[in-house]
Parts: sequence; C-alpha cells; structure tokens
Amino acid sequence: MIISILGIRGILLNRRNIPIMSMPIESMLLAVNSNFLVFSVSSDDMMGQSFASLVPTVAAAESAIGLAIFVITFRVRGTIAVESINSIQGAGPFSLGERIRF
Amino acid sequence: MFNLFLAVFPEIFIINATFILLIHGVVFSTSKKDDYPPLVSNVGWLGLLSVLITLLLLAAGAPLLTIAHLFWNNFFRRDNFTYFCQILLLLSTAGTISMCFDFFEQERFDAFEFIVLILLSTCSMLFMISAYDLIAMYLAIELQSLCFYVIAASKRKSEFSTEAGLKYLILGAFSSGILLFGCSMIYGSTGATHFDQLAKILTGYEITGARSSGIFMGILFIAVGFLFKITAVPFHMWAPDIYEGSPTPVTAFLSIAPKISIFANMLRVFIYGSYGATLQQIFFFCSIASMILGALAAMAQTKVKRLLAYSSIGHVGYICIGFSCGTIEGIQSLLIGIFIYALMTIDAFAIVLALRQTRVKYIADLGALAKTNPILAITFSITMFSYAGIPPLAGFCSKFYLFFAALGCGAYFLASVGVVTSVIGCFYYIRLVKRMFFDTPRTWILYEPMDRDKSLLLAMTSSFITLFFLYPSPLFSVTHQMALSLYL
Repeated sequence: MIISILGIRGILLNRRNIPIMSMPIESMLLAVNSNFLVFSVSSDDMMGQSFASLVPTVAAAESAIGLAIFVITFRVRGTIAVESINSIQGAGPFSLGERIRF
Repeated sequence: MFNLFLAVFPEIFIINATFILLIHGVVFSTSKKDDYPPLVSNVGWLGLLSVLITLLLLAAGAPLLTIAHLFWNNFFRRDNFTYFCQILLLLSTAGTISMCFDFFEQERFDAFEFIVLILLSTCSMLFMISAYDLIAMYLAIELQSLCFYVIAASKRKSEFSTEAGLKYLILGAFSSGILLFGCSMIYGSTGATHFDQLAKILTGYEITGARSSGIFMGILFIAVGFLFKITAVPFHMWAPDIYEGSPTPVTAFLSIAPKISIFANMLRVFIYGSYGATLQQIFFFCSIASMILGALAAMAQTKVKRLLAYSSIGHVGYICIGFSCGTIEGIQSLLIGIFIYALMTIDAFAIVLALRQTRVKYIADLGALAKTNPILAITFSITMFSYAGIPPLAGFCSKFYLFFAALGCGAYFLASVGVVTSVIGCFYYIRLVKRMFFDTPRTWILYEPMDRDKSLLLAMTSSFITLFFLYPSPLFSVTHQMALSLYL
C-alpha cells in the first residue's frame, strides 16, 4: 500500500526524464497486486488471487505500449527531458484579461 | 449452456470481426503481388459494417436477455440498461467511424490498424457497460484505455500527436492505478468484488455506524479514478492538451465513447453497488467545479479543438449533476444528457473534420463561413446553440431536465450554479457564431464541399437536435426504463 502511494508520488514529481515515468506506474500496479494477494489470503477468498493473476497481464501490455510511445516521442523530438513536453500550449483560464476581444 | 453464447453474441461477433479484419489487413497489405496496398479505407468500411451488424445483433437479441441466467452470478449482467447503453455506444461509434474516411484520404493515413484498434476498444466498451464485477470492470477499462493510448499517438511523425499520446498514457495509467487501488481496498474490507454482493454488504452502511476506513478509502479512490477518466475537474489536468494534440477523429472518439461507457459503469458501481457508501459530496464538488471551469476557461481559447475540449468538460459537469442526486429522476436526466451530448458532439466533430481541408485550427479561421458555406455555418450555429442550451433545441431539453432533477432532490445550489454557468457559457458559443457570421478574416479561406458520409451524419444529427422538442417522449420513456432497471 505504501509502495503504491510512493508510486503516485513518483509519477507526479518526475523531474528527470520521460522513460522514468513508467517505473512508478509499474510499481503502483504491482503494489496493488500484492495488496490483493494479502487480502485474499487473510480473508480466505479465491477472488483476490484470480484478480491478482490477471493484473500483471494488463501491466505488461501497458508497459509495452508505454515504451512504444516513449520511443516514437524520442524519434520525433530527439530528447527525453521532461521539460520539452510543452509544445501543446493553450490559453488557460487565467490569461483571460488580454484575451477577450470583441 | 447455449444460452450463454446467445447472450454474449454481439461481443463474440465483434471480436471475431476485429481479428479477421486484422489478419485480412496484414495479409493483403504486405503482399508484394498487389503492390502493398494501403488498406485503411477498405478495413474502415468493413469495420463500420461490422459495428452495424453488431448493433443489429444486439437490438434483435432483446428477448434473449431474460434467458441468460447463467451469467447472473458471474461477471456480466445484461438488462434494459445495458441494452440501450450499448445501442447508443454502437451508434456513436458507427457515426465516428463514418466521419474518418475523408480524413484517411486527405492525410494519407495508411495504418489500417487504426480501425482494428477502434473495433477492439468498442468491444471492450460493450463489456464495460455490462460489467458486474470489479475485476471485469477493471479489465474492460484497461483494454479500452490501452487501445486509445495507441490511436492517440498514431500520427507518428507529428510532435503534437506523440505528445498527446504520451500525456494520455501517463494520465490513463495513473488513473487506472488509482482505480485498482480503490478496488483492492474495497475487496480487502468487504471480501467481495461482485456488485450484487457489494450491494448487500453496503446497503445499510450509513445507518449502522460501523465506519470502516477501508471502505471509505476504497470508494474514494474508485471515485477519483473514474473522475480522472471522464475528465472532470479537478482531475482534468491534461485533457485539453490530449484533445488538441490527437488527430481529430481520435478526439471525436475520445470525447464520446469512453464517456458513455464510463458513465454507465459509474452508475453501476455507485448507484447499484454501493448506494449507502457513495460519497455524494465529491460528485457535487466535481460537477460544480467542472461547470465553472468549463464555462470560464473556454472563454480564453483561440483554437477550435481546445474550445470543444473545454466545452465537453463543462458538459460533463452538467451531466454529473444528474449523478450527484441519486434519485431515479437524476439518473434519467443523466442518461438523457449523455444521449444528447453524444449526438451534439458527433455533430460538432463532423463539422470540424469537414473544415479540415485548409487546416482550420484557430477560431479566427472560421470567419465569414456564412458567406462561403452558408449551410455549414447554419449547422454549426445550431450545434453551438444546442451546446449553450438555447430553447427549443435538444441541449436545452437535456439541461432543463438535469436542473429539474437537481431541484427535485433538493440540490438547490447545484441547480443555481448550473444555470449561472450555462448563461456564462452562452457567451463563447455565441461568439463563435458571431465570428462565423459577422467577422471577416484576414485571409479568405476556401472550403471544399464535404463528402457524402459526413453530410448524411450531419443531416441526421442536426435534424434530431432541432426537432427533438416536438416528440421527446420516446427518449424519456427509454431512459426511464433504463434508470428503473438499474435499481432492480
């Protein structure tokens, strides 16, 4: 459980480079998986274990897609720094004053 | 045993169609004898046909719903609610696929896997709507999200598209992780993942006074995960960026289909699965914040797709009003809102795709559309007026019923915030219409006439929007039936 909270913190506070983002995602999913297994053993129920055998499938597929997207991002940009993900710029709600023109 | 297959026959058909189309695409597009043809239109038409056949199978299989009792203790449940939701989902998917063909031709977009992924995500959304267990729900949500991550990043040479795919991946993976954490907390505290069992355990939750922090955390995290997925505020972080950067057909899909299926799933989890333990306050707060942000932030936008993204965030806020009051009227107004929202959004994105020839990105490019293409301008203004909620169009009917339901359950603050933000939102919709009719752009843009599929789609949806007020009772009675069967 604590590992999943650390994973959440890891995604939100990533300052180094982009492929590192996939590590906290994986750790979140795996920590939740172990949560399921622990609960299943402690309440003597089978459903937790069947769920826990399905979740890593999803995690693996997602990390494969994540790596593919990181690779094409790198191919287009040439850098993996996190600061460079800002080419989509928008006018947020706070630049209202100068933007309203009739 | 045979009843099992009959009940799930539409999904079986669409899975088979997906795989056959994938194999067909791979075999023929890599054959040297045929000179490596790009098969995207071919596979696209076949995909559209298979979606329509699935719709037919689903609609004609209505009497089979009562036979599928083998399902009822397992992962899926089909009743009136799922029947109509799946019909709506398949109709909107068919509409959005038919919008894409022109896009494929112009952008020289050759990947037929686009259509295969859309079919796969449609199948997973069919499962998601009828999911009746936390496991089935999570797996279906993941399958749908994974397909969408890929197609959001499908224009591989474009910086915008890859960045949108990256942001969508991170956002989606994060929200799935939170959702799964909530599921594990609920499983740990109650020992049940099936919604029937959860409903029995959590029915008297508020009254018994046995507060379990595990259940509270579980419901909270599941709610947060779902709210991330429907891009409600304050969890809408990158949604406008994703909507803007993806290729336009993908944005159309993103704003229609997942919202339908995730709202259906949310209704199952929170209204059926855990009626006593649902945190109503979080949905109140999110709907108020979404309405306010959707109205205010869209005023400052200069790009069309971002404006549509913020207006869909605002509309999700209105639809969450129906969700926050847990009454049958509230659910019914939510379903009417979703139906009309899906039609309006198909309309809006068909128009944006039709104007794509000369890369209209900025709102200022729409200037003087009325002089060059008057019918398109009138259609666009009908859609914008419907979004704004101007009577007698369909958007007004849906907003009216939503506020009516909110007042009926005593949520006076919610309804008044809704009315105020609706009025504020009118501003930028009408500004768009004014730009089209009364502004002259700096450089005149010449638009080609749009192709046959989009014009048919636009005709159907805009005639529905204008003529809905004359005969709204079929939709009202259908949604009433859906809401009733949700509670049973």
